[in-house]
Amino acid sequence: MSHDYKAVQWTPFKKRFDLWLLAGIALYLTVFITIGGLAQPPGESIHPVQAIIRATGTLAFLLLTFVLCIGPLARLSHRFKPFLYNRRHIGVITFLIALVHSGLVIMWYHGFSDLNPLVSIFVSNPRYDSLSGFPFEVLGFVALLIMFLMAATSHDFWNANLGPGVWKTLHMGVYVAYTALVSHVALGAIQFNKSPVYVGLLAASAVTVAGLHLLTGIASRRTGGAANADGWLEVAPVSTMVDSRAKIVRPLKGEAIAVFRDGQQISAVSNVCRHQGGPLGEGKIVDGCITCPWHGFQYRMEDGQSPAPYTEKIATYATRIVDGVVFVNAEPNPPGTPQRPSQIGVDA
Amino acid sequence: MKRAHRTAHLALWLILTPVIFLILIFAVLNQPEAPDNETLPAVLIEDSS
Repeated sequence: MSHDYKAVQWTPFKKRFDLWLLAGIALYLTVFITIGGLAQPPGESIHPVQAIIRATGTLAFLLLTFVLCIGPLARLSHRFKPFLYNRRHIGVITFLIALVHSGLVIMWYHGFSDLNPLVSIFVSNPRYDSLSGFPFEVLGFVALLIMFLMAATSHDFWNANLGPGVWKTLHMGVYVAYTALVSHVALGAIQFNKSPVYVGLLAASAVTVAGLHLLTGIASRRTGGAANADGWLEVAPVSTMVDSRAKIVRPLKGEAIAVFRDGQQISAVSNVCRHQGGPLGEGKIVDGCITCPWHGFQYRMEDGQSPAPYTEKIATYATRIVDGVVFVNAEPNPPGTPQRPSQIGVDA
Repeated sequence: MKRAHRTAHLALWLILTPVIFLILIFAVLNQPEAPDNETLPAVLIEDSS
């Protein structure tokens, strides 16, 4: 939760996650460089700097692929939620690995030029009018620049100052960075190394990332249909509502509604978290509060207010149970308005 | 996510997906047969032959 720009807290879980992540990165780099050296044809060798360039380049690409899959995967399965909590850490580490890759490339391939190495990236290959001969390093530079902006503004300070809407729009730039990175690899590494492994990995990454985002994007636009004449939307039979979890209803107009079951009570709130617009209905009830799956912001079921000392408020909605079926009124109450929950077995 | 953000997200992927796959297909179909030495000075290419 936020209070006076306080950042997302470092919990023991986050620390353990980061340690495992760093251990995995060290293992990948070691194995890649070792196998890369052993796999060279007889009589040929690879310089350690080139080996590190390849290892960090492939690792940054794989990590970015994983980071971009976390969001859609977490919508499809709760098992991926722990990665959602740590997505920003993985993103910042991905940028740092890409930075090492870029730094070594600049030193190794442009450091001996008469030109400034940064200028050399843009002018050493002037074939901007050719797609097959395009200076692919420029595409990598563009991706790195966008990733830098993402990493530099990843702190909650920027989210609080820019506002969740602007912050989310800015961070959608990572999709453009991914496109630039795929183009960087396709017009670069794929042209020099014809190994089907590289082509296969690149295609698998593109199919997975684009497919998951399109799939969840189209699914999230499905609406729950029009409300009846009294403004009530059907949610689901009570028997299908899992305790401490929610069903998400999308009216034809307005924001989605998260309808939660907590024991024998049914309550409804806006599905949009005040922090970064996270999907509250994909979270669960923890300690009596609705808890956002993205960063753990919490709201009370009965009035949509964050517990003290926090001050965030979200809209609440009236609910009712008719013949064992839950309904929600599509008209939101002002944020923070108390709303009596429906009682299963009493109001039905 | 807010409805507007979800719409922008989907619209962005509807644009980027064909771009990504067009570049991928082009890159695979245009893989050079041999290393491209066009950036080397002509003298070096003649010397090596």
